Parts: sequence; C-alpha cells; structure tokens
Amino acid sequence: MRLPIAALVMAASLSAAGHEDCHRLLNSGKRAEARTCYQQLTLTRDPYLRAEGLWGLVLYKDANDQFRLAVDQAPKNPDYRVRWGRLFLERFNPDDAGKLFTEALAIKENHPGALLGLALVASDGFDAKAVELAEKALAADPKLVEAQELLASLALEDANPAKAAEQAHKALKISPQALDALAILASVEILADRPGDQWLARIASLNPSYARGHALIAHHLVINRRYKEAVDFYRRAIAADPNFWEARSKLGINLLRLGQDQEASQQLQMAFENGYADLPTKNTLRLIDKFKEMVTFKTENTVVKFDPKEAQLLRLYFEEELKKAIATYEKKYKVKLAGPVQLEVYSNHDDFAVRTLGLPGVGILGVAFGDVVAMDSPSGRRPGAFHWASTLWHELSHVFVLSATRHRVPRWFTEGLAVHEETAASPDWGDRLTPDMILAVRDKKLLPVADLDRGFIRPSYPGQVPVSYFQAGRICDYIAGRWGFDKLLGMMHSFAQRATTAEVIEQHLGMKPDQFDKQFFAWLENDVGKIAGAFDEWRKRARALAELAKAGKHDEVIQEGTQVRDLFPEYVEAANAYEFIVEAHLAKGDKPKAVQVLEHYSKVGGRSPEMLKKLATLQQQLGKPTDAAATLNRLNYIYPVNDEDLHRRLGDLWFSQGNIHGAIREYQALVAMNPQDKATAHYNLARAFVAAKQNDKAKIHVLEALETAKGYRPALQLLLQLHDGNTQETPQQKRK
Amino acid sequence: MKIFLAMALFALCLPATVHYLTVSGLGGEPDYELRFTALAADLDKLLKASPGEVAVHTLSGKQATKAQLTSIMALIAGAAKNDDSLVVLLIGHGSFDGHDYKFNLVGPDISAVELAALCDRVSASRQLVVNMTSSSGAAIPALQKKGRAVITATKSGTEKNATVFARYWVDALRDPAADTDKNDVISALEAFHFAVKKTTGFYETQKRIATEHAMLEDVGDGDAVRDPSPQNGQGLLAGAFPVLRLGASHQAVLDPAKQKLLARKEQIEQGIDKLKYEKAAMPLEEYRKQLTTLLLELARIQEELDK
Repeated sequence: MRLPIAALVMAASLSAAGHEDCHRLLNSGKRAEARTCYQQLTLTRDPYLRAEGLWGLVLYKDANDQFRLAVDQAPKNPDYRVRWGRLFLERFNPDDAGKLFTEALAIKENHPGALLGLALVASDGFDAKAVELAEKALAADPKLVEAQELLASLALEDANPAKAAEQAHKALKISPQALDALAILASVEILADRPGDQWLARIASLNPSYARGHALIAHHLVINRRYKEAVDFYRRAIAADPNFWEARSKLGINLLRLGQDQEASQQLQMAFENGYADLPTKNTLRLIDKFKEMVTFKTENTVVKFDPKEAQLLRLYFEEELKKAIATYEKKYKVKLAGPVQLEVYSNHDDFAVRTLGLPGVGILGVAFGDVVAMDSPSGRRPGAFHWASTLWHELSHVFVLSATRHRVPRWFTEGLAVHEETAASPDWGDRLTPDMILAVRDKKLLPVADLDRGFIRPSYPGQVPVSYFQAGRICDYIAGRWGFDKLLGMMHSFAQRATTAEVIEQHLGMKPDQFDKQFFAWLENDVGKIAGAFDEWRKRARALAELAKAGKHDEVIQEGTQVRDLFPEYVEAANAYEFIVEAHLAKGDKPKAVQVLEHYSKVGGRSPEMLKKLATLQQQLGKPTDAAATLNRLNYIYPVNDEDLHRRLGDLWFSQGNIHGAIREYQALVAMNPQDKATAHYNLARAFVAAKQNDKAKIHVLEALETAKGYRPALQLLLQLHDGNTQETPQQKRK
Repeated sequence: MKIFLAMALFALCLPATVHYLTVSGLGGEPDYELRFTALAADLDKLLKASPGEVAVHTLSGKQATKAQLTSIMALIAGAAKNDDSLVVLLIGHGSFDGHDYKFNLVGPDISAVELAALCDRVSASRQLVVNMTSSSGAAIPALQKKGRAVITATKSGTEKNATVFARYWVDALRDPAADTDKNDVISALEAFHFAVKKTTGFYETQKRIATEHAMLEDVGDGDAVRDPSPQNGQGLLAGAFPVLRLGASHQAVLDPAKQKLLARKEQIEQGIDKLKYEKAAMPLEEYRKQLTTLLLELARIQEELDK
C-alpha cells in the first residue's frame, strides 16, 4: 500500500486521535479526509488502531489480522473483541461475531457494545431477543445512540411505526447526527405513503453520500413487500455511494424478485466482484445461472419456469391450475392483473430457499413477490410432504391481494386470506391442524389481531410462524363465515388506503380489536377447543396405539384406534391412527372397512401417496373404479412426479370410463416421464388420441411406440388401422 | 446392430436349457432374513413359471451354505451343455476387506474368486451373474469373463450399505413394462435398466443419498459401466441374454412354413434400424413417412405370421 507523503507526515505526529474521529469524518460525508484519517491509523504501533484503520480502508483481511494481534496482546480488553466482532458481522459472519460479543461479555458484564453486537446478530436473524438485547445495551449505556436507532428499526420491522418514530426521536436527542434515526423517520413516512422529504433532506445536509440511510429505507420497504419502491431506494443508495456494494447486492436480489433477471445479474456480479460475497449474493448468482437452464412456457397471462428434467410433466398440471386460479381470483377479488404471472418451480428446495433469503415470515414452500411467484416443485420435497396445488393457490392469492392493495397490506391479512383460500379451493387442501397449533390454542399463545404481524416477523417461540399462519387463516375463515367473503374484500381495500388493522376491524366489523379477539377466540375455542382439551390424552393414547399395532392386536387396534382418531381427526402425519386401523382391517381381510377408513383419511386431508395409492387399489378391487380414479387424481395435486404407475393407472381408468381428455393428460404425463416402458406409454397415448378423434396425433405416438419396439403387435395393428381408416379397437388392443 | 439382431434371434431360437441358481445369503437380522428369503422365493416362482427349458435351483435360509452352493453348481456343471445358459442370482449381504469380495452365507462365506471358479466349470457358453449384494462391485474383476455378463448392485466394494437393487430386479421380471422392445422376453439388459431406474427413483423419492450404483460388464475384460451402450461397448451380451420369457411367441420362429415371411420381417426390421440411425440427418416429416412405410409392411407381415 502506498500512502501520500502528507499522510506520512501527519502519521509521524499522530496524536491519540482514535478511530472515532475517522468515523465521524466518514459519517459527515468527508470521505477523502476520512480516508486519510484511516491511513494514519494504519501507521500507528497499536495493532487495534491499525485494525480500525485497515477496516476503514476496506482492507478486511489485514484488519482481521490486526484485531487478532490486538486481542492476543490484550486478552482482557472487551472493547477489542467487540470491534472485531463488528468486523465479522459486517463481513457476513454472524456466528464468529456472536462468539466475540459473548467473550466480551464474559470479560465485562453488561458491556454495552457487546450487548448491541448481540442485538445486531439477533436482528439479522429476525430473532425476538434483538429487542431485549438492544434495550439492555441502552440501559448499560443510555448514550449508545446505535442501540436506540436499532430499537427504532426493530419497532418498524414489527409494524409499529408510532413506536419506531418515538425511538428514532429519542436517538436524535442523544445525537442530532443520528443518520439511521433520520432514515427510520423517513421510512415511517414513506411506508405511510407520505413524502419523507423532510428527513431525507436532513440526511443529505449531514452527509450527502450516506448510502446506508437509503438502504435502510429500502430494507423496510422489502419487509413490507414493496419491492418496486425498495429497488428505487437501493438505486438512490448507489447514486449516493457507487461503492456501497451491499446496496448493489440487495438491488440485484430485489430486481430478481420483480423478474428483472438481467440487471439483477449485473448488479450482483458487480457486488460479488468487489468483495461483497455474502451468502445471498453468491447463492443468488448461482440461481441466476440455473435460470438459464430452466425451461420456460409462456401464454397470454402466464410465464412458467421449470427444471428441464420435469418441465414437460409438470407443465400439464401447473399451467392448467395456474390459469384456473387466475380466472377464479379475478372473479372473486374483482381484480384484473396488469400483466402475466411468472411462476418459478424449483425441483431443488435449496434453490427455492435462495429466493426467500433475508425475508422474515415467508412460507417455506412458496413465496409471492408481486407478479412473480416462486415455489417448491413436488419433487423438491418428500412424497406427501406438501400439496403443491394448495401452495400455488395460496401464492396466487397473494398476487391478487398485493396487486389490489399496491402491496399495502399487513402480513397477517394477506397470509390469512391466502390460507383461507387453500381450503376454499378444496376442503382437503391446505395445511392440517398440527400439534403446535393445538398447543398454541390450548396454552393461549395466540396473539391479538392488532399484533399478529409480530408472530410472522419476530417469532418469540419455535413454531410461532406456522401458528401465526394458522391463526390468520382462521381469522379470515371466521370473518368470511360470519360476515361473508365480501367483508374480507372490503377490508382489503381499506388496507390499501393505509388504514391500520385496528381501524379496519372497527370500520368493517364494527368493534374494537380486543372485542374482535374475544369473539374470535370464543369461536376458535368452539372449533378446536375439544381437540385442544384432549390433546395430552390423545398423545398418550396414540403412543400406546403404536405399541398395540406392533404387537399385532388387530381388534384392539381397531377399537382403540378409532377412539384415538376421533380425539384428533385432523392428525394425518406420521404414526396417525388411520394407518394403524387400516392395517388392522386388512390383516383381518376386511377390505371394505379399510376403504372406509382410508376414505376418511383422504377426506380430512391425508397426503401420504402410499396410503392414497392403497386406497385406490382397494377401491378398484371393490369395484369402485370412479372412486379409484378420483383418489389417484387427488394424488396428482400432491406428488405427480417419480410415479409412472400413478399416471398409467389413472390413464387406464379414465380411458375405460370414457374420460378421454383426462386419459390423454395422464398418458402425456407418462410419456413426459421418459418411462421404462416407452412403447406402451406412447401406444396408450395414441389410443387415447384415436378415441378423441385426433388421428394425426395418434399416428405420431404410434410411430413413437414402434420406434422403440418395432415388434409391438398392438401398436402395429393400430398403425394399420390408422392407415386403413378403421380405428375400431380389436379385443387384443382392448386388453392392452 | 446387425450382430445384435442375429444374437437376439439366436437367443429366441434356442431350444437349450437355462440353468438358474438363486441364493439368498445370510440376513444377519430377522428383517433382512425375511426380505432376502422372500425375494428368492419370488424369483423361484417366476423362473419356474417361465416357458421353455429351465432348471431352477434356489437356496435360502439354512440351506444357503457354501457347501450347498458348491454342490448345486457341481450339479449344474454336470448337466449343462455348451448351448445352455447359466444364470446365477445372489441376494443378501456382501463384504469387501479391501482385497477380497465375499458373499455372506450361513457358515463360511464364499469369495468372488471361488464363485468364478465354480462358474468356470459350467460349460454353458453364455452366463449371467447378478450379484445384488452390498459391496458387490468388488466382485466384478474376479467374475468377468468372455461370454459372461456380470451385473452388480454396487459400483465398488466400498458401497457397503444393504441394497434395494434386488427388490427391483425381481420387479423387473414380473412387470411386463420391463420388456421395453415388446418381444416377450425380458433380457438381462432390460432387467438391468428397469432395476437401475427404480433404484435411482427410490433414493430420489426418499431424499436419501444413493448408497448403491449398479454396474454391468459383459465384454469380459472391460470396465464395468452404469450406462451400457454401443458407445462404451457394454450391453451387447446382456441385451441378447433372455432372463425370462413372457410368452410363446418364439415358437413362430420354429415354424418352417413361415420362414420366408420371417426373413422378410428381419429385412424390414433391419431397414427400420438403419432408418433410425439416419433420423438426425433427415427432415422429421420425411423420416416419419419412411418409417410409416416400413412399419406398415411389418404390420402386414406380422398379421400373416399371427394367423
């Protein structure tokens, strides 16, 4: 590193002026002076000051080395560890940062900087402890403006703008130069659709190149799903400081959420090449590379992207379902989307997860960014782990709600409505009641409606996010059931006008939020209270039931299992009572009873492909082919991948029942899977096309069949028939 | 391709005997014991029901000893003619100590070298060894030989976990879908492809890391491969090795009255194969037109043959 002579001269006479002076210069926009100041620090003999100087010059590795040296030389100094931890935090390593902050606290209890550091780590992960830690830091040092600013930001993340503004003003009392506090005040205004000019002007007057302030505003817009505006603020951050690589990375990530892949890639690449290589940046760049491999299908109102290995198969189901959902919601929500919906379907869950990095409280199966929806492919999860169609309809509901409200809607409402839509589409869709939800009801852990967003953003106990989804969904069920669905639409439009949850509840439901809570909780108690009350008994007896089943005591399993099932009928996950009862009935040779139990299992939302296929087989054996086809078709919306047998069987059933359109789809699915028996798959598809009087298509597939197996007699016969114009099936072809 | 057709036809025409030996080895645990024995029983039933001349031997449970295995192989060696075929199917656990592969039996195990020596004594000119055990990949070097196709459930001796390949091999022999060319014969290659696909699907569906990668070697002195093809030279023998016949269609081949039709049929089939190789170099419509012409003639000949 070469330093200007002036700097060397200054360094020689360096006083005790520390890194705070350099930071002050930087925060007031005097970047050249700040740089000189940092350069001076690098020339001192004190490794700690050198570390600060090198950090200021963005020489992170060298700074890290000097911090290590400083800590080695002064192991009892907690300040060095705190600052080193902050370097780690800035360089995408919250784990090591957390360790250093904890070590500092071990040296000095209630070290404000260490507490703040831990609060920042917790805040990064949307951990509920962030608030508590920041408050402790402030208590330890009431002048710690950064802690006060953090509290303001956390309050805003928790959808409490009034508190956020209050905290920001407190920060400004500590330091009128508190730039982040000003940015929070600007965010409060902007989120409320008011100009934040007053605060933005103050930031500019204090430090015209303070890019972090714009990025902070953008962060709060992202949290509120207002991606387009967030992109504008990230651009402003870059305009203020083109070397603020974090803003470029986040700009790229959010451009991608808007479907602007090309610029997203450029911005991310630039950030990466300049050393901003945090996990979201690296993973998103990898994801963009994968985009190039994905197969895209476009129609007038849809753009769907799939992994090439399953594109042809999934297209058959997803495109149709997507169009159906769009048509349904257009009527139901009375909203017309401005452009096509882009749906990305990821066969690798890790790829999908990249899309949700840094977003709190989003679904683990799907996410909607406006017109862009990303979700797991059924192949991305274990068979039966989720219902893809339910997820698709859930996300599509967001697309419409976000469009109708211009993204101005509290999280609880849009999530609640989306959950409500899952079972509105079909009662056996949607997530089932889980033990976590039951316990939350029983132990009165549900949040007041006015605070429900907190359960999504900053969960205070494990499992609170899914519990909040459940609660929000049930609130929407309750409103739709008591006041009608239009009431929900009215609320949606009021939210779009920036009304708060309390105002909307009062305006549309004619009561205060706490009154609403009382009435809703009473309704919920009536709905699931019995199950919640019997939960401990159910758990105990369910365990005992498994033992009975293991011992092969079939009669006892049937008797006890039925009672266990009735204590918690919606429980269809691992070791559910249905499975044990079915096996007991089958062991006794009672297929009709087994079918009854399996049908009940399916009706309450059971999703195990194994169980559903068993049901279909038994239904066929008992002469109920129509029911068998319905069961298999239900499976198509759960796990249509990796299962040639499903499509073959359903195709055959529908073909024999005269549902030719359905048979064609299933045989097309089979062909798309590149099956082991290609010849039969193509032949069956050809037969279905013949039945649909689409002989041209039939001929293509019979040729495909014979290309694979030229000696395949039924296909040869069909080819002759197609040629001769006589497509009446022979008995041999019917048998096939 | 011509060679393949000739071999396939030869295989179909063979009036010779197929000698099968299925061994389900030591399970070690009741679950494995049950599973292995059941698979061997399924195979026994399927093979005995196969049309044509077959001699089926099955060892499982307490009978699955090295002495019994040696004794049956000696019996087969005594009975088998040069035109016959030998199929050895091994189900169970295998082990590999870095040097030798051993098939786990009740009592002393048998090594791959010992097993190869037993097979060598059988004069059947065409042999198939399907080793479906853990670590079976390590047995390939000892077993491979000209005229013998070797299939293993694992690619090496280090894949030591219990395998699922055997389950899908048995499925292949009872699922007509495995007969991909619809000639009413499930060849070793078809069964291999079927079982590989199902095994892969098993691990993908279960979201588990695959701990077995089946291999095939049928050249005798080549490297075993996972994807036999004309490009790597593997699969020719296995493709023409009937493991199980599904019907009696091969009887038509024996009817002297139909020899002329059969000759023409073979000629057309060769024409189809040639056309398929030229597909990439011609417009799709033209390809389909020519293919249709050939297939229509084939269909008419087949009608005559079926009369």
